[in-house]
Amino acid sequence: MAYFDYADAPFPIRNDIREAHRSFWQRLARAGSWWTGAQRVAIARESRNALTCDFCARRKEALSPYVFSGTHTHEGGLPDAAIDAVHRIVTDQTRITASWIAGNAAEGLSLEAYVELVGVVVAVFSIDEFSRALGLALELLPEPQSGEPSRYRPAVLADDIGYVPTVPANGAVGNEADLWPNGGRAPNVVRALTLVPQAMRDWRELAGAQYLSFADMANFVGHPDRSINRMQMELVAGRVSAINQCFY
Amino acid sequence: MLRVSAQTTGTEIDLTGINGDADGAARGIPFGSELMRFGEAIALREPARLANARTALFEQAGSRVLVDAAGVAANFQRMVRIADSTGIPVDDTTSALGRDVRATLGLERFPGARNTPATG
Repeated sequence: MAYFDYADAPFPIRNDIREAHRSFWQRLARAGSWWTGAQRVAIARESRNALTCDFCARRKEALSPYVFSGTHTHEGGLPDAAIDAVHRIVTDQTRITASWIAGNAAEGLSLEAYVELVGVVVAVFSIDEFSRALGLALELLPEPQSGEPSRYRPAVLADDIGYVPTVPANGAVGNEADLWPNGGRAPNVVRALTLVPQAMRDWRELAGAQYLSFADMANFVGHPDRSINRMQMELVAGRVSAINQCFY
Repeated sequence: MLRVSAQTTGTEIDLTGINGDADGAARGIPFGSELMRFGEAIALREPARLANARTALFEQAGSRVLVDAAGVAANFQRMVRIADSTGIPVDDTTSALGRDVRATLGLERFPGARNTPATG
């Protein structure tokens, strides 16, 4: 099946966006580093279910999400902690804490599995948001493919930022040499998912189509392939971030 | 990034557009008000508001602008969740530009500020 042909879209969709969405959907269906293809597609499905989950809606209104008990609306295929993590990332991300992530790790949702889960959730959510923004139907989720997770973990990691280990700014070497020019600038948001390097690569590819490539981020004027200049982009980005209460 | 872009291009802008001021968004930025409203509607997840904002942007700026803006908004719906889900701090808390922008927009009120100690 050809995903994301956007044939029914009332607006022409740039080909690089179409290709980036297709490319991620192919990887979504395959085993990743810590989850099988079936589990990755289940994570994607839960990222959609979270938006209509009654428990998520009620918990978001609670003063603390950590004293509020209940059951998510979900379709299974994942451990309870993973379902809760997916729903929380989509609907209540500002209240995620280091201790909650560590508690999940103690109960079996490892930091590595959590980071891959974050990567899948945010990629699917972003692709879905693109469709929703343009009034298009959401794409069908791909059929999972068989295979086992690689369980790959980078050799060089640091605990100097955030809640999870990351490849350090000077650690883009060996298998991670493609992540960024070693010795170059690696902002924290670029490092954030590097405990699972493929999650960062997915991030980079989608960002390159929907926003800007790493190279173009240094161009504060505008890109010839875009119809909006950098100020216009940053106004949209800033307003979206403000509503989401994003400090970063 | 908006302020850096404005400085780079020598454009006078008003950062209050980030906080939802339509007149501020329009200052120095083509289709600024419509773009701001479109991004706002996507993030607020209100279907009627989104439909109205989409139509307004399309009618004023055309389909290419609409699609490119949808891509940017979708990208940042993701970015905020990466930042909050991994607890990353702001990269450089010492720059005067960053401090000024955070103060102008009142960003210290956001929960994610806890991940960046000593931002003042």
